[in-house]
Amino acid sequence: MPKERSILPRIISAAIFILMEIAALQLLSRNASLQQIWIARAAHGVMGTVWGSTQKIANYFNLRKINEDLAKENFELREELDTYRSEAHARRIDSLGIAHGRVQGFDYVPAEVIKISRNKQHNYMILNKGYEDGIQEKSGIITRSGVVGIVDAVSAHHAYAFSFQNSDISISGRLGEEGATGLLVWDGVRSNGAILQEVPLQYKYEVGDTVYTSGHSLVFPPDIPLGLAGDAKVINGATNEIRVDLFQDFTAIRYVTVVHNTAFDEVEDFGL
Amino acid sequence: MRKNSFFLVYLLLTVVQMLICNYFNLSPYVMLSILPVMVLCIPLRVPTWVTMVIAFATGFVVDLLSEGILGLNVLALVPVAFVRKEVIRLIFGGELFARKEDFAVRKNGFGMVLMAIILVQALFLAIYVWADGAGTRPLSFQAIRFGASLVAGVLVSLLVIGILAPDTRK
Repeated sequence: MPKERSILPRIISAAIFILMEIAALQLLSRNASLQQIWIARAAHGVMGTVWGSTQKIANYFNLRKINEDLAKENFELREELDTYRSEAHARRIDSLGIAHGRVQGFDYVPAEVIKISRNKQHNYMILNKGYEDGIQEKSGIITRSGVVGIVDAVSAHHAYAFSFQNSDISISGRLGEEGATGLLVWDGVRSNGAILQEVPLQYKYEVGDTVYTSGHSLVFPPDIPLGLAGDAKVINGATNEIRVDLFQDFTAIRYVTVVHNTAFDEVEDFGL
Repeated sequence: MRKNSFFLVYLLLTVVQMLICNYFNLSPYVMLSILPVMVLCIPLRVPTWVTMVIAFATGFVVDLLSEGILGLNVLALVPVAFVRKEVIRLIFGGELFARKEDFAVRKNGFGMVLMAIILVQALFLAIYVWADGAGTRPLSFQAIRFGASLVAGVLVSLLVIGILAPDTRK
């Protein structure tokens, strides 16, 4: 390798070059105020960049500890959030019971809908509670806005239920506080539409009257508001069929209460 | 040209540069300098660090004895000395170093010599104009000054090459 191409003279030359340039900048800054300001500004810029970079490097190596602290804080916040959520959930469930008034002879179990179908003629829903939580077959499912379904089958931790939006489901409804009773069924079209069937013609009502659960069935407690009565249609000249606008919005069901008549089995034994 | 006579001519050209700085103020846009080509013509056998010392001293003397700012020519001329051999290697190839010869117009061709002059002049002027402006002049002024000074400097440098280039010194 030629002498000129070896690395040591290059390093020496580079070192001398840097020293000479520094000396030149010193000369320049001492002898011209404009250049002095310019060099000072450039030096501050370089210092800022260098110190900024070192700070970034230091921050990078601190990331592990910061991550651990954040994870710990995240865990604590999550626990705290879970506590608040549980309390809120309990309050919501309580309010459902309070809204309808707990009726003697019925058990109330809070549950959450984890799956629901809406676009079929035989819609269903699945709840996150099963027989280990006290859920039994033929239990009613209600919310603060009305009736939403009937439990059909239960496993240990889940329950399968028919939604009210199911052509096989009918519940006993009553017009007003002390009006006629009939069978309330989904109209099969609207998400909040129902029909109160088999209402005797002699019973008068006003459009806008509230329809309640009658309490004649073993599944639902009485006096749960279901919806508002609309127009009527005479069927076979014998009964009225009244259109009902339900209070319940089936697109926004999440928290429900499962109600079970404690006398259900005893009454069923009569074989009525 | 012998080594001693080269440096005598070099000293005389340094004086000429001082005279140019003091008496040939053509325009604010033109900064005439023959210092880069003087450093370029320093014999190749002179090590780079020595060339840088010579360049430092030359720039310092010119700054000190002319109306310029002390340190300005030094700042711009030392980088020329630092990259001088690399420029020569880039333009003329490594044969000059292998044969331990200096470049010359007749031997290496006018085009190559012109290219080398342009490169060192451009480097010198880029630093000089930038540092002289100290961030206070608009970019357009700096660019025009750089371009005009480069043209003028290259033309004058061709005359200096005629004096300092080895084959013209025989």
